[in-house]
Amino acid sequence: MEKNENRIALKVALIAILTALTTVFTIVVRVPTPIKGYISLCDVVIVFSAYLFGPWTALITGGLGTAIADIIGGYSQWAPFSFLIHGLQGAVIGLIAKKASKSGVVSDASLPSVFGAGLLGTIIMVGGYFLVGGLFYGFKPALTEIPLNLIQAIVGVVLGIAVTKTVRKAYPPVRFLTW
Amino acid sequence: MISSTFVSGKGPWYDFDPRAKLILIVLLCVEVFLPVPLWGIYLLFALAFVSLSHAVGIHMAFSPFKAIGLIIVIMIIFIPFTHRTGTPFLTLGTTVIATRDSLLQFATHTGRFLTITYLTTLFVWTTRMNDILLTFRWFSLPYSAALVITLTFRFIPFIAETFTRIQEAHSLRQSEHSQSKGWNALSDILPTISCTLIFALKSIPHLAMSLEHRGFGSSVKRSNYRSLPKGASLFTHLVICGMIATTFALLIVL
Repeated sequence: MEKNENRIALKVALIAILTALTTVFTIVVRVPTPIKGYISLCDVVIVFSAYLFGPWTALITGGLGTAIADIIGGYSQWAPFSFLIHGLQGAVIGLIAKKASKSGVVSDASLPSVFGAGLLGTIIMVGGYFLVGGLFYGFKPALTEIPLNLIQAIVGVVLGIAVTKTVRKAYPPVRFLTW
Repeated sequence: MISSTFVSGKGPWYDFDPRAKLILIVLLCVEVFLPVPLWGIYLLFALAFVSLSHAVGIHMAFSPFKAIGLIIVIMIIFIPFTHRTGTPFLTLGTTVIATRDSLLQFATHTGRFLTITYLTTLFVWTTRMNDILLTFRWFSLPYSAALVITLTFRFIPFIAETFTRIQEAHSLRQSEHSQSKGWNALSDILPTISCTLIFALKSIPHLAMSLEHRGFGSSVKRSNYRSLPKGASLFTHLVICGMIATTFALLIVL
């Protein structure tokens, strides 16, 4: 009983912090692009959560974090869809990485399998926002968002993997935070 | 960084029960996708805009419109490329710029998007975050999920400030006139992101310990600092919300 209670408190704390990180990385952390736009780095935290903590953590933190960011940023009409799209993106990346890992530990998955998982996550993210954009304002105008979403997702996968490897080396106790 | 979404103001929307408000907003957002006449969609948008203006002032009521302005401009640009066959409405010499069908589709999409934007903004701006969470709890959101959301809002400003400080500290390593863009911006931001993540991860065990010391996971029943009102007022507000949603749905029949 005591062990289960400890794990519940750790789960809640882990998910809350990762969700807050996702929200901050969506709203505050932006990288300027050559076409005068900005890309957010929420996908970095989603890939980080999926690779290090598994699919279920990534599902909740990715979905909830981006939904909260949409509400705070004044785009509350997108919140339920961001929850579904980014949640599914994180879950798929985590599931594929977990299946590809021989030891069953997500963070031991090989680099090609993680990149493959990231690619599938990218398709889910870009395709999901295209479908929702088509529903809101037509499929032809929604096509204009695809290039920026693609750049954001690919940058998120590349940076997410780089950051995960860096954090694992710099902070080894992160392994004991998994559930 | 301000993470609160509530905007203080006046009007009946602030007194409306948040549970009935959420049900009404969701019902109306779904109904705009049903075969409602165009004038019905724009009537609902007008009502939502007037309600928001009355609540927070006309100047603030234009903020959601500014946020989605670029998307509406893109939709206008794409008018000549949709529904190329059909009755021409706008022509330039022999070139058809817009047909009746393309303009109707633009008007419908714009009306729907504006209506949904203003309805969701109305809900978020006139309902305190505590009440939104209590509303989801009333709809059976687990206690641990509500706790996660509460803690997230508590830590967002802290992590945002941490990121800014780490970024400023790392920028001291660069020259004064360097401006990172594209790939350089990404490689420059990598140390900042890693430090921010590690700083945040280090706070997890302390947070978990704090939760345990405050009785999280205890079998003793928790008390609430605040609860939503029960009884007659909820029933009245639910009836009002049902009447509004039904009236709008009858537009489909007409």
